[in-house]
Amino acid sequence: MKRGETSLLPLEDAREAALFFVVGALCFLAALAALTAKSTYGAARAWTAEVEGEYTISLSDAAPQDALAATLLVQSVEGVDGARLLSEAEISALLEPTFGSRGLPADLPVPRLIAVTAAPGAGDIGRALTETLDEAGYTAAVDSHSAWAGDVRRMLGTARIVALGIVALLASTAIAVIAFATHAALLARRDIVDVLHIAGARDRFIAGLFERRFWLLGLRAGTVGALVALASVALLIAIARSSGNRSGLLPELTLDFPDLAVLVITPVIAGLAARIAAGITVMRALKSVM
Amino acid sequence: MTQLRPDIFDEAAVRLDAVTLRYDASGEILSGIDLALKPGSFSFLTGASGAGKSSLLKLLYLARPPSTGEVSLFGRPTSRLTRDQLSAMRRRIGVVFQEFRLLGHLTAYENAALPLRVMGRKEAQYRADVEELLAWVGLGERMHKRPETLSGGEQQRVAIARAVVTQPDLLIADEPTGNVDPEMGARLMRLFIELNKRLGTTVIIASHDLGLVRQINAPVYHLANGLLVKNAPEPGKASRRRGDGIEIKEAE
Repeated sequence: MKRGETSLLPLEDAREAALFFVVGALCFLAALAALTAKSTYGAARAWTAEVEGEYTISLSDAAPQDALAATLLVQSVEGVDGARLLSEAEISALLEPTFGSRGLPADLPVPRLIAVTAAPGAGDIGRALTETLDEAGYTAAVDSHSAWAGDVRRMLGTARIVALGIVALLASTAIAVIAFATHAALLARRDIVDVLHIAGARDRFIAGLFERRFWLLGLRAGTVGALVALASVALLIAIARSSGNRSGLLPELTLDFPDLAVLVITPVIAGLAARIAAGITVMRALKSVM
Repeated sequence: MTQLRPDIFDEAAVRLDAVTLRYDASGEILSGIDLALKPGSFSFLTGASGAGKSSLLKLLYLARPPSTGEVSLFGRPTSRLTRDQLSAMRRRIGVVFQEFRLLGHLTAYENAALPLRVMGRKEAQYRADVEELLAWVGLGERMHKRPETLSGGEQQRVAIARAVVTQPDLLIADEPTGNVDPEMGARLMRLFIELNKRLGTTVIIASHDLGLVRQINAPVYHLANGLLVKNAPEPGKASRRRGDGIEIKEAE
């Protein structure tokens, strides 16, 4: 359509208003699901990065001097970036959730703990630590946190796949709804299509009219859906920050550039999906007439 | 496939060979129709209401294919054309529908210019021509009104303007003067004759208005019971030749 020309399809009616709402709602849900998928991926990386390369050595029945000597021994192991003997206060703090703030029972046998950090790219040094301590005669247990990190990764990987599945499902639903709506619009405007057809309009020309209409509808509805999703996420972040996130267990919620990119892309994808669905539907319908 | 007779094939603008038409399981609306119209001819199609005039016209303006037989336009069998070729052929045809079929959201001017937009012409190229045409059919003052604000006769004239705006090779009109007064009817008929005379447009007009048909001494094809017969011009009436092959009979 050239500038200033009236569209050959009439302006949107009540049916398109309903479709606008449905597509907008689907885009809102899809944007939220995409953000969920992205943030679970980010959370998994943050959580596992914190514990990967970290080892905790517990020494049973070790005197303070022995623990210090073991720490120095660990620092000499190849691949170790740093090793530090945890103080009794730090150990008490770790056990506080279990024993409370009044301190540990005097008769509780508490192991000495050495926090070890592997050098970047050192790989798994757990075995080397165990062998070195065994050879030196220490009764030590080395915990690489790998089981816990693996669990976290598996759980968040599943959550991410579910979220991506929801995105795909919502996108398919939106496309199906738009295809159905296009077909209904085509039937409702059969008279116009017939006149254009008999006037010599090619199928591509007629399909182009519907493609433009539904591209704009998808783009506008997608924009509204994405903006509502942005507002929802911003509200969630504000609530999370006001509650303090004191445990430090959950990763901090943020809205970064990739999140904004998801919100910008959502309406474009919605518009493209609407355009393609409309084009295919119209071309198929026109094939049924001479 | 229907065997085409080569003797009349090349010279016919419109040709139907053993054409039948039936809708679903109903009986035949058209039965074994043979028709050949020379380029630049002017013909009437008559028949009682429900005789199949509109159905026959649909075949001619390529709105639907025949059930059997072949429809050829401008020397080309339409059954062998691709969809794009059919679209290109439709652009050579102007159609005046009995029920006008104007687009309600467009003005009279935009409706009349519709085939030109479909052809991809720029408005600057056609604006003056379309305005002149609408002025000629008496809509110079109302060309920016929408159809709903126009009378039946005015809508009819917009529909006619839309059909002739591209100066088509074939003009098909279904009861084109059904909603206008006799004076405007005569004026519109003169437009059709003008197109036929000046541009060599092949014109076929379906009408049950025998008064209109009798005014113009042109071949009349009559549809009855699904069969098409050609009537000879009525004898015994004085006529004057216009020099364009069409005779307009004197009023009795």
